[in-house]
Amino acid sequence: MTTSPISPTSAVPAAGRTAGPYHYEDFEPGRLFAHHWGRTLTEADAVLFATQTHQYQPALFNAAYAAHLGHRDRPVSELLTFSVVLGLSVADLTESGGPFLGADEMSFGVPVYVGDTLDATSVVVSRRESGSRPGWGVVRWRTVGTNQHGDMVVHYQRSSLVRRRPEETGADT
Amino acid sequence: MTVTTAAYYFEDIEPGLVVEHRRGHSVCTADNQLLSLLTMNTAQTHFNRDSLSSYMDGAFPEPLLNACVALALAVGLTTDDLSANALADLGYAEFRMPAPVFVGDSLYAASEVVEVADVPDRADAGGVTYRITARCGDTTVLTVRRHVLIKRRSHWLARDEEFLRAVHAAGTALLGRG
Repeated sequence: MTTSPISPTSAVPAAGRTAGPYHYEDFEPGRLFAHHWGRTLTEADAVLFATQTHQYQPALFNAAYAAHLGHRDRPVSELLTFSVVLGLSVADLTESGGPFLGADEMSFGVPVYVGDTLDATSVVVSRRESGSRPGWGVVRWRTVGTNQHGDMVVHYQRSSLVRRRPEETGADT
Repeated sequence: MTVTTAAYYFEDIEPGLVVEHRRGHSVCTADNQLLSLLTMNTAQTHFNRDSLSSYMDGAFPEPLLNACVALALAVGLTTDDLSANALADLGYAEFRMPAPVFVGDSLYAASEVVEVADVPDRADAGGVTYRITARCGDTTVLTVRRHVLIKRRSHWLARDEEFLRAVHAAGTALLGRG
């Protein structure tokens, strides 16, 4: 696969404008995206997410039980890790609007603990125009999440319906 | 001592086991808006009603539940029955949302165990694969296949009972039954 130069989130916009999100035309297969921000996971994140979504695996909210399982610290739900890594990728990949079509081949690497910092990087796997929806296409990406040591914490593929770039009519999307 | 819902160990789970999970979850604004923003998700369909008029030609009247949050809720509803003894999530596959979920919808989950298998280098645990279907009313809104590492009774039962005794020793003594 040809690897394109890596694209940082949102190229610097012209004065007075917010950089628009990427569209179907921008997702050439092989293009890499280094997503913005990064996120350090706190104890509040870990316990709020686990309890609010019924993750009744006690190591996620009970420090004594986590130690009983042999953890060095409070582990973070793999689904929080997935959600944050996907969340960090949204501004680049799917903020132009279009429903989630699916995720596959999700697997996890080293455990994530409270205090770890996550970053997200994606590559375009494939794209095709939508047969039933003119003006839209289907794009598939592979995203990898890493921690502050560069260890893989999660990777997965996801697909979304993505809008083609609107005509330059002045109407902003 | 009676223990709240004795959790399944790996040996207790067999392919074909079907569980209709007892609890449901009515989706609230906090689930969608707070958890979307907590997880850095910037798709406005989850937190700005005005954005809906230009989203998919205004097809959705209400903010759509974030798919990651929907997944966490669907999996969460299965955990007390199937994975209280989980050591780690190994993976997910075939995650689809055939219908949208909105604030106010009540989610329920059912599971079917597809496979149980040894995991390399893990004598103390085994891998369980189960298919989760989440529904709102009669509508299937989410399907996913979960692969999770579950403790083996042979390795963990004695240690887990000792842990349980230790954390309840003070309470038992205070009730005059120590």
